[in-house]
Amino acid sequence: MAASSFKWKAMIASLSVMGVIAAGCGNNDNGTNTAGNTNTPATNTANEGAASPAPTAEPSGPVKGGTLTIGTFSDIVNTNPIYIADTSSGDAAYFMFSNLLDYDAGGNVVAEPWSLLEALPEISADGLTYTLKLKANAKWSDGQPVTADDIAFTFNTIKDPAAASPGISTFDKVDKIKVIDPQTAKITMKTVYAPFLNSLVTSVVPAHVMKDVPLAELQKSPYGIDPAKTVTNGPWKWTEWNQKQYLSFEKDANYWAKDVNDVNIDKIIYKIYADQNTNVQAIIKGDVDMVGAVPVTQVEAVKTKENLNVILEPGPLYEYMSFNFNKMNWGGKESPFTGEKTRQAIAYAINRQGVLDNILKGTGKALNAPFLPGTWADPGSDAVTYDYNVEKAKQLLAEDGWKDSNNDGTVDKDGFEFKFELQYNSGNSRREAVSAVIQQNLGDIGIGVTTKGIDFSSWIEQNITPGKYQAALQAWSLNSPDPDSESIFSSKYFPPNGQNSGWYKNETLDKLWVDGYSTTDQEKRKEIYKQVAQQISTNLPYVFLYQYGTPAVYNTRVKYEDAWKPVPALAYGSFFGVNKWWLEEKK
Amino acid sequence: MGEYLIRRTLQSVVVLFLISVFTFGLIHAAPGGPTQIFLSPGLSVEAGQIKAEQLGLNDPLPQQYFRWLGNILTGDLGATFKNNIPVGDILWPTVKNSVILMSVTWILTLLIAIPWGVYNSTKEYGLSDQTASFISYVGFAMPTFWFGIILQSTISIKLDWLPLSDMYTIGKQGDIPDLLMHMVLPVSVLTLISLAGYQKYMRSSMLEVLQQDYIRTARAKGVKENKVVFRHAWRNALIPLITLIGLDLPMLVGGAALTEKVFNWPGMGSLFVDMAMAREYSVLMAITLLSAVFVVIGNLIADILYAAVDPRVQLGKGGK
Repeated sequence: MAASSFKWKAMIASLSVMGVIAAGCGNNDNGTNTAGNTNTPATNTANEGAASPAPTAEPSGPVKGGTLTIGTFSDIVNTNPIYIADTSSGDAAYFMFSNLLDYDAGGNVVAEPWSLLEALPEISADGLTYTLKLKANAKWSDGQPVTADDIAFTFNTIKDPAAASPGISTFDKVDKIKVIDPQTAKITMKTVYAPFLNSLVTSVVPAHVMKDVPLAELQKSPYGIDPAKTVTNGPWKWTEWNQKQYLSFEKDANYWAKDVNDVNIDKIIYKIYADQNTNVQAIIKGDVDMVGAVPVTQVEAVKTKENLNVILEPGPLYEYMSFNFNKMNWGGKESPFTGEKTRQAIAYAINRQGVLDNILKGTGKALNAPFLPGTWADPGSDAVTYDYNVEKAKQLLAEDGWKDSNNDGTVDKDGFEFKFELQYNSGNSRREAVSAVIQQNLGDIGIGVTTKGIDFSSWIEQNITPGKYQAALQAWSLNSPDPDSESIFSSKYFPPNGQNSGWYKNETLDKLWVDGYSTTDQEKRKEIYKQVAQQISTNLPYVFLYQYGTPAVYNTRVKYEDAWKPVPALAYGSFFGVNKWWLEEKK
Repeated sequence: MGEYLIRRTLQSVVVLFLISVFTFGLIHAAPGGPTQIFLSPGLSVEAGQIKAEQLGLNDPLPQQYFRWLGNILTGDLGATFKNNIPVGDILWPTVKNSVILMSVTWILTLLIAIPWGVYNSTKEYGLSDQTASFISYVGFAMPTFWFGIILQSTISIKLDWLPLSDMYTIGKQGDIPDLLMHMVLPVSVLTLISLAGYQKYMRSSMLEVLQQDYIRTARAKGVKENKVVFRHAWRNALIPLITLIGLDLPMLVGGAALTEKVFNWPGMGSLFVDMAMAREYSVLMAITLLSAVFVVIGNLIADILYAAVDPRVQLGKGGK
C-alpha cells in the first residue's frame, strides 16, 4: 500500500500545488490578504498540534437536517473509485461510498458498523491469505446487494494495466482474488505484505453496472462522471455536478446502514472556488461552512473571527530536503553528500525551529524520521534529533575533510568547492522561503547554495522522475498511516522504475524495510521500524524538515462530539466523523 | 463590398490555419505534457504507456495535428484527457458566462466613456476632466484582482450588501435578479478598468478633431457650439474609437481571467488558465481557435463600421 500511497499522494500534493499555482496569479500571498481583518500577529502557541480552539462539542444533542457547504479549490476529475487520483474526487467519494474497512481516529484499520466488511479480514497463519466477509445487508443505491463479485471486479480491474488505474501498485503484491460465496472473497498474496490491510480502506464499484464495459473504455464510461449513472452505497448520494461550480449530495433514504449510521446532515454542497483568497473570504462571510485547506498565509485572517474554528494540527505530509548521490549530477565526480558526517552537518546547520516559527506559523511540527508523529510507528526519542547548532555543524564538516583551503569562503575537499543547486517548484511560496533559509544557514558553514524554482510539471518530468538534480525541496504525503516506505528509500527503486530519485543506497535499510512488511505481527513491526528510524535518522537520505498541513477551518455551526472531531493527520481527515456531525441553524 | 468580404474571409481561413499550426506546436513544445499531470504517478510505467498509446500521444506531432484538424472540420472539438468530457460541454457554458459578464461591462463602459470623453474635451482641465484623469490613473495602475478583493471585503463582507462571488446562489440557477446582484461587483471592477482607456481615447480624439479647419469654419459661420460638437466633431472623433472597439471584441468571449477567478465567475478566462495548468491540449486549442475567430471577426466588423461612419472609406475599392 505504502508504495502506492506515496506515489498517489505525490499526485495529490502535486494537484494541490497546481491549485496554488493556478490561484497564484490572482492571489499574491505576500500581503494582499485584505480580508477586512486587523492582522494581529497571533501569539504562536507552540508547535503542538493541539494549538487549535477547543472543539465545538456542546451539551445540546445532535439535530437532524441542514446543508453543509464545503469550500474547495479544485473540481473533481472522476469519482469512480478505480480512477480516483485527486483530492477533490476522493472527497466526493468519501460522502457517497462505504469503504470495505475504515480508519478510527488513531489511524487503526477497523470494521465500523458502516464498513462493508463484517469484521477485520481473517489472515492465514502464513500471512498470505486474507478472507473478507461482507455484511449481509450491504446494498447499492439501485437496490442490488454488495457482493464478493464487486470486490473481485474492482481489485482485478485495478490490477490490470489495460485499465490504467492509478491504484495499480497498491495491488502489485496481490496474486489473485477469489469469490468463495456472495459474501466472501479470498485474497492471496504473492508475498507477505503487512501494509496491505490499509489497501482495504477503500470503496468498491458495482460489478453489475460495469462488468460489460471493455477495460479500455472504463475510464470513459459515465460511471463516476454522471451523477445519475453513478450507483453508490454510502450515506449520501450524488445528485448534481455543475462543472467548475459545485457538486451536491443528498442523504440517501435507502442507505443500507442507516439504522446504525443515520447521518444528521441532509445535504452536502461541495463548492469550487477558482481562487483561494475568494474561498477564504467565503468562509469569513459564511457562504461556506468549512474549508479543508486554508493557505498558511491566510490563517491570520481567519483566526480572529469568532464564528470560525481553526484546526492547526499538521496533516499527513512531511517535507524534506533530498540529497542526490548519483555521480551524473556532479559532473561524474563523487557527490559531496556522500559522507554521513557531511549530511549530519547540514542537518545541524539548518534552523528548523526558525522555519517552523516564521514560515509555517505554527502549522508544522519538526520530524526526524519518515513516520508521522502520533501513529503507532512513531519512533519518538529513538530517532536522532538535529537541533540547530552551527558549531557542531562546522566541526562535523571539518571531521569529514571539508576545509576552506583557498580562503574563498566556501569549504572544499580534493579540489571540489562545496556548492550545489537546491531546486523547488516555482510558485510554492513556502518552499521558496524555506530554500532561502537553507541558503543562508548553509552559507554560514561555508557551503554555497544556489536556489532555483522550476515550473512544477517540467520539474517533475525533467528533474525529479529521472533523478537529475543536486538537492531538492520536496514533500511526501501519506494516505495510509502505515510506516512502510520501501518504495522511496530502497535501492530497488532507483529511477526510472521507482521513486528513490536521490539514488540513496543503504543495505541495512534495504533489508529492514523488507523485514518490516514481511510480518503481520504489529509488535514485531514496531521493533523493526524503531531500528529503521534510528538508522535513517543517523544516515540521513534526506534532511527531514517538518510535518505540516494546510489548516482546516470550520464555522462554529458545525458541531461534533469530541470522539468525532476532524483528524487532520489522516487522509480525508478533515471530514473524519462527518457522518456524526450536525449543524446548527445559520446565524 | 461583397467581393471584399469574400477576400477577407479567405484570408481569414489562412490566418486561422496558421494560428492553429503555431499554437498546436507551441502547446506541445511546452515541457511537462499531459502524461505528467493526468496520469497519476502511481501508474506503472507500463500502464502509462498503454494510456498514452490510447490517447495517441505517442504519434508524431504532424499526425496528431492533422487528426485534430480533421476532427475540428467535422465539428468535433475532442475531449479532455483527464475525464473524457467533450470539450464543448466545458467550453460553451463558460463562453456564455464570459459573454454575459463582458458584454454588460462593455456596453456600460461605452455608455459612460463616450459621452464623458466628449464632454471633457469641451471643458478641458475642468473638474469633470480632472476627475476622469484621476480615475484613469487609478484604473490603469490598480491590479484588477486587488480592487476586486477590496470590493469583496468591504461591500460584500463588512456591509453585506451584495453576494461575494459566483454567478448564482446555489439553487437559483437561471434566476435573473439573482444574476444581476452577482454581477454588480465584477462589472464594477471591469468597467472601472476599461473606462479609463475609452474615455481618454474619446477625449483626445475629440480634441484633435476640434482643432480641424472645418470645425473652425463651422464656428466662424456661427454654428452653435452644441451643434459643432455633436453634429460635426463627435462623429469624426468616433472613427479611431471604432478600431479600438473592434479590436476589443474578442475580449467579450475571452473574458477576464483574473477578475473571473477573484469573483469565482465560471468564465472562459478562468477556464483557460486551469486548462493550461492541466495541459488539456484539446480545450486549449479550442479556446485559442475561438479567440482567433473573434479577433478576425472583430477586425472585419471594425472595417465595416469604419465605412459606415466615414463615407470616405470605401471597402474593397482602390487602395486596399
